[in-house]
Amino acid sequence: MSVEQLIASVRSADSADALLSAVERLSQAKHPAATTCLLEILGFNNPGAAVAAVDGLIAIGEPAVEPILASLHTNNYGARAWSVRALAGIGDPRGLEVLERALATDVGPSVRRAAASGLGRLDLRSLPEDQVSELVERSLQALLAACGDGEWIVRYAVVVGLEGLARHQGQRVSDLSLAALKRALAGLAVGSDPLFHDVVQRRSALALHRIDNSGGTHG
Amino acid sequence: MSAPSPTPFEMAEPIDEEEALRWLRATDDPSAQYYAAWWLGRHRSQHPDTLPLLLAAMRQRRARQIGDGVEENAVARNATRAVGKLGPHASEAIPTLLELLDDPDYGLREAAARSLGSLKAKAALPALLARLQSGPDVAGARALDSATLVEPCEALLEAIGDLGISGDEVLGVLESFSTHERPVVQSSACRSLLQLTQEPRWGERLKALLLHPQLQVRRAALMDLGAAGWRPATQAIAATLAENSLKLIALRGLVESAPSDSFDEEIFEVMDGLL
Repeated sequence: MSVEQLIASVRSADSADALLSAVERLSQAKHPAATTCLLEILGFNNPGAAVAAVDGLIAIGEPAVEPILASLHTNNYGARAWSVRALAGIGDPRGLEVLERALATDVGPSVRRAAASGLGRLDLRSLPEDQVSELVERSLQALLAACGDGEWIVRYAVVVGLEGLARHQGQRVSDLSLAALKRALAGLAVGSDPLFHDVVQRRSALALHRIDNSGGTHG
Repeated sequence: MSAPSPTPFEMAEPIDEEEALRWLRATDDPSAQYYAAWWLGRHRSQHPDTLPLLLAAMRQRRARQIGDGVEENAVARNATRAVGKLGPHASEAIPTLLELLDDPDYGLREAAARSLGSLKAKAALPALLARLQSGPDVAGARALDSATLVEPCEALLEAIGDLGISGDEVLGVLESFSTHERPVVQSSACRSLLQLTQEPRWGERLKALLLHPQLQVRRAALMDLGAAGWRPATQAIAATLAENSLKLIALRGLVESAPSDSFDEEIFEVMDGLL
């Protein structure tokens, strides 16, 4: 089926199940022409279809970024929350500002969680060196500021984000920043109970272990 | 187990402990008391006034007025849930919780059972078993006047598993509910049987429920596998058609069920992929 036919079958779906399978097929096409239609689905208040549409937007990748950013002005909170998740998954540096704001202020833990993990894996290869250092520094500051989030899953995602930054952008992080990153992970790895470590503490210990043994970072 | 639902209070105005205690004392304002009881539990308040005030609130009764939109005995129910979150120092509440297990109000019995389980009140075992002894056809039958069962079976079954005491009588009661007509009740029974026996067949039953056509059942099985910490379900949890948030809660349960002397890289890899 052509992408136009796939879009037509999304638009004519007359049940939740039919919509879900039509969106899944459209997402699998990975075609930039599907972007507008996939963005509309994010506003339908149908979580199953929205998850499939987010996967589709992530698969389209770079060409979907501008349309997603343009769609954020909508008043529909649900649609914006799904858009943040798509931007986090795509990892395009143009999403940085949205991810920073989402991690700092969004009321939904699942949105802050996606933003934190997205900040750790932005793909900065297309950018000049000086911009890369600036974006890495901004991502790091956003993650450090969220270490005290009230939700365990957001702190877990912050740990994963910090590990990602240290392991993939380690060369771009200053010695000072790397020290701050490791201090934050060490802080998240300890708890008041010596006999029980919760999942965030355990994941932080693993992140520190991996950073110290990766050899990819300087210092 | 039923999946956690976001509480209506998450976005409410922040208050502090002093204020919550003041609100809970205000017996002329049940909605302030309702919020205060929830707040003190959520923040695991260790203030010396917290427990006595919650115990008093657990005895407050308010009949339902049709159409007023307020849950029957709402303050008492929230206070009962709150004491279960306070940890070992709330053991003073156990005699009151045992009384509430025989209350005519279904919701209070349910809250009391859950709190007895989370306080690991071993003395509650005979009382919990007694409420289920009549089996799925009586205790587990549908109530005449509501969509609930005669007894809050899920809460009672799960509390029995939480206590961690096994034995022929306990296992017999749990097994009788493992074939209950409602899959969510089966899930609760299998969870406790898995916790008490560590027999893989109960874990396999829960894994099969992850494929149930109803989302509500898949969610229950996720929470129950997480509570039992059954690690062979790691990949099945990841593949379940349900919200990532719930899968992550279940996987956290798998991680935290084991000692922390080694890294759980397989489970962490799955969790990282669900963020």
